[in-house]
Amino acid sequence: MLSAVSLFREALYGTLVIALACSVLGVYVVLRRIVFVGAALAELSSAGIALALWLSGQGLVMGLTTHPIALALLLTIAGVLFFGSGSGRARIPPDATIGVTYAVAGAVGILLISKAAVGEAHDIFLQGNILGITRIDTMILLAVAIPVLIAHTVFYKEFLFVSFDRETARTLGFRVGFWNLFLYLTLGLVIAFAMQFAGVMLVFNFLVLPAVTGLLLSRNMAGTFAWSIISALVAAIVGFSLSVPFDLPSGPAIVAVSGVIAAIAFLVRLSQRR
Amino acid sequence: MKPLVTFDHATLGYGRRVVLRDLDFTIPEGDFLGIVGPNGAGKTTILRAILKTLEPLEGGVSHAPNLRYGYVPQRDQVDYNFPLKVIDVVMMGRYDRIGLGRRPKPTDRDRACAALEHVGILDLADQSLNSLSGGQRQRTLIARALVGEPNVLILDEPTSGMDLVATTQILGLVRALHDRDALTVLMVSHALNEVANYVERIALVMNGGFRIGPVDEIMSPAVLSDMYGIPVEVDSFNGHRIVVARRNGNELDRPHVEPEPVVVEDTTEPNDA
Repeated sequence: MLSAVSLFREALYGTLVIALACSVLGVYVVLRRIVFVGAALAELSSAGIALALWLSGQGLVMGLTTHPIALALLLTIAGVLFFGSGSGRARIPPDATIGVTYAVAGAVGILLISKAAVGEAHDIFLQGNILGITRIDTMILLAVAIPVLIAHTVFYKEFLFVSFDRETARTLGFRVGFWNLFLYLTLGLVIAFAMQFAGVMLVFNFLVLPAVTGLLLSRNMAGTFAWSIISALVAAIVGFSLSVPFDLPSGPAIVAVSGVIAAIAFLVRLSQRR
Repeated sequence: MKPLVTFDHATLGYGRRVVLRDLDFTIPEGDFLGIVGPNGAGKTTILRAILKTLEPLEGGVSHAPNLRYGYVPQRDQVDYNFPLKVIDVVMMGRYDRIGLGRRPKPTDRDRACAALEHVGILDLADQSLNSLSGGQRQRTLIARALVGEPNVLILDEPTSGMDLVATTQILGLVRALHDRDALTVLMVSHALNEVANYVERIALVMNGGFRIGPVDEIMSPAVLSDMYGIPVEVDSFNGHRIVVARRNGNELDRPHVEPEPVVVEDTTEPNDA
């Protein structure tokens, strides 16, 4: 089993980087109840990938075929600005706006990919293909993840305060709009880059399940982050290691392991209450 | 008394929507003011103007230099799902003093402990916020407001959703903070009966109208009937004022008519009693 895994070790390293970055941001995603913002941003990112492939199929922008991240990033940042600003949609409930974005972006991605000349071969971009991650891909992921994680370490206090109690933060002079947008921007960056390799399902998994596990196992923020990271890395390693020798799709295998870990955490929490 | 906040014929609202017109009053140092009115009347709008998070549409709102507010938000504005200890929440009150990107120091923790002791829950410092009762949570938020060493303590609906015991304890604590520390206190509430027995002045915000004055002046049947638009009586029981709407027996026959907005300039000094 180990030899099979070592064959794909570069892919595993890339998956671990995605797991690490998403599991840290996921704590805010879950606590701020913006889980479906994460899903909508992931769909926007995948729509951007599909748009790049469709354009290249039309012979319009050839360069984007090999680097679909450009359009994925563009659409994701547009989504970040839309959700992060939180203005101008007072008559529509926020969750409805998120739902509309999720549905439309998902449908547009599928429609574009179905009409892209190279679509059939490339819908792997929408599903994700972590086994295809190369060393260069891992370096690119690290180049995004490291600055994001440093920003979250340095500005932990600011992100926490505006997430926990924005009104009081505002009265103490914190620029709540700026910090919210900054938080969303880091989320958008990680999602846009992770989406290329991991696909919607796995990115969404890493944004939600590890954070839920962390919240079940810890009663303080440091512990929640720690358990979130540990559970994401363990799920990535175990899921990946099981998928290769048993010829299972890696993404769903990792999600399944994440689910088992979250279920164990739930049982642990239950036992502590009794 | 030195004026801390002055409303100079200020019109407040959002965009083109005017909420309150021509507010003209002063909040002096040492005041204990209750801002009272039903939901949606404009209490929070006044609060935002005081906290400098809302600019007046017309007129002006001026603030004394170096004014620091200790803000206690409505309890439902705080997300109790966050896995935070009481001491961590209280230290947030010093975040603006700690500086961008820096972590709290041991002195910040010491001050947070002192604030918790001040409100009587130092023993809960290491408890999870979501394990506390409503009253304990409110004390935590008051401690967070105090740890920033404010000139003015502002509480937004501090007793909302609390039972009689917790309400009495929280209002007693706020009164003690005003008396003991000579702290200027502004308290926003929809419950006139609760607030009237603790504060020294009342600002009534109702149906687009605004009236401010000492408790004795505002808690008169004539003023309250005028503001509420229905006959109101004020009774006294063991020194506590109780406002009751007079029953006329034919409520079903007579639809409620919104009164004309009433705006009265503040000409009174705060009650130092």
